[in-house]
Amino acid sequence: MKTIFALSFLLAICTANAADARLPDLSGSTDKGLKIEIYSELTPLSINQIHSWHVRVIDGDDEVLELEELNVYGGMPEHDHGLPTQPQVTSRLDNGDYLLEGVRFHMQGHWQLQIELQLNGVTDTAIIDFDLQ
Amino acid sequence: MRDLLLPLLASIALIVVVGWNYLSIPGVQNWSEEELRLITSLSLDALPALPADPSNRVADNPVAAELGHRLYFDTRLSSNGQVACATCHKPELMFTDGLALAVGVDIGPMHTPSLVGLAYSPWFYWDGRKDSQWAQALAPLEAKHEHATDRVQLLHLISSDTVYRDMYENLFGTLSLPATLPESGMPEGDAQQQENWDTLDSETQTEISRFFANLGKAIAAYERKIMPGRTRFDDYVSQVLAESADDTVLNNSEQDGLQLFIGKGQCVTCHNGPLFTNHEFHNTGVLAAGGRMPTMGRYDGVRISQADPFNCLGEFSDASSAQCIELRFARDANDLVGALKTPTLRNISLTAPYMHGGQMTTLTEVVDHYNEAPSSMLSHNEAKPLGLRPVERIQLEDFLMTLSAPLATDQKWLVAPDY
Repeated sequence: MKTIFALSFLLAICTANAADARLPDLSGSTDKGLKIEIYSELTPLSINQIHSWHVRVIDGDDEVLELEELNVYGGMPEHDHGLPTQPQVTSRLDNGDYLLEGVRFHMQGHWQLQIELQLNGVTDTAIIDFDLQ
Repeated sequence: MRDLLLPLLASIALIVVVGWNYLSIPGVQNWSEEELRLITSLSLDALPALPADPSNRVADNPVAAELGHRLYFDTRLSSNGQVACATCHKPELMFTDGLALAVGVDIGPMHTPSLVGLAYSPWFYWDGRKDSQWAQALAPLEAKHEHATDRVQLLHLISSDTVYRDMYENLFGTLSLPATLPESGMPEGDAQQQENWDTLDSETQTEISRFFANLGKAIAAYERKIMPGRTRFDDYVSQVLAESADDTVLNNSEQDGLQLFIGKGQCVTCHNGPLFTNHEFHNTGVLAAGGRMPTMGRYDGVRISQADPFNCLGEFSDASSAQCIELRFARDANDLVGALKTPTLRNISLTAPYMHGGQMTTLTEVVDHYNEAPSSMLSHNEAKPLGLRPVERIQLEDFLMTLSAPLATDQKWLVAPDY
């Protein structure tokens, strides 16, 4: 019986690690060196489907940070237009990620995200470039 | 010999110029992996099942579709007894009217868009001022240049027609009329309509508006059946994917046009997915229709949709707030000035003229416009000049002609019902 418990415990740890080991769909750094990781509920990222993201902000010690504010903007520099929607943070999840709802892309090509956050009264920004197929 | 040199050089130059403009490379023999992915994404086989409309609880109700079908073709739903939804959205013209500007009771400001596959769109009207098909269906009924009737007149009509009344009550419950009901009435109508509307107490006004919304929901249930049919392009994709030896459903020029569509022509950036539209809004520098002011487009449309009492978050919607995701996260920004909705390209050869004011009568003009990408009157043109050679413009047009086919809709819905 002990063996079964031990195996179950081991399996649980492995499963948890596997979940944590998921690579972010997008990532980048802020001007002040904070790390941004984006985990999309729609994978792979694709066009014309509205969906949500989990946004994680981490400091240099890999600690997940609690922010005063988090806003995400974006657009296609080549076409000089923004996102088709205005995504908004609607809640904070148990693991410290922020739930960003209302994300949608409507064109393939090069996109640029501007992530603005406020921590301890200081505004910080990250720019994330990526190509969407 | 010297005498021959000049004519010889001139001849060579002529051959080069003509060849550059009009010589075609024969067909596409091997599509790259990326091209195949794009082509497959455009096929009707990639079209998902029609999404539910949580704001309309009768969206997929057969009785509602029957009621909507009757309402759609009924000219009694107009001030002059001559205008129905089908007057402008004609089934025989892929639910367009062949006119530059729509003509109902009067001439309207915009070109009639097709309704084919429109149930997939989260936004309606060229500027996206409506966020559901049922809310869209209501506006023309009360618009002065379209049906020019109003919700009180419609209540009189439906309640006095036993067939309509029975169908309505079957779907929505008892249709109760107030003890005294003016002949006409609507908010923001003409002076008489407004005065009549103001005589009603707010509870009665709400109930009449609910009745009106229900008519829109029935019309939408009908319109959800208007679906595109399988085209030569779709058959070609199937053959290519099957690696059929006979992938000649499209001729060489059409295949080259397809390659331009997904490549150099950049058409696929906005006209993407199986309906050849991203259902979004873009400023592509199309001039306003003659004698008309340029439209503010989505810049105004998003505000109108947010203020619309018939929107997804309103009291007449059947959706929860959480289900109104498009409206809740709709974006309102300056770069939407002059941006208009990307129309489907399915059946494009049958739906001339083109653009939001019917400004262009041929596909040749349309392709030339995008090739040139002129500056926009308002804000900026998102598109850039393409540098397509004349032969490439012809090929692109040839490809666009492969996107038409009879609708995948039962014939009974394409003609007026027996009244």
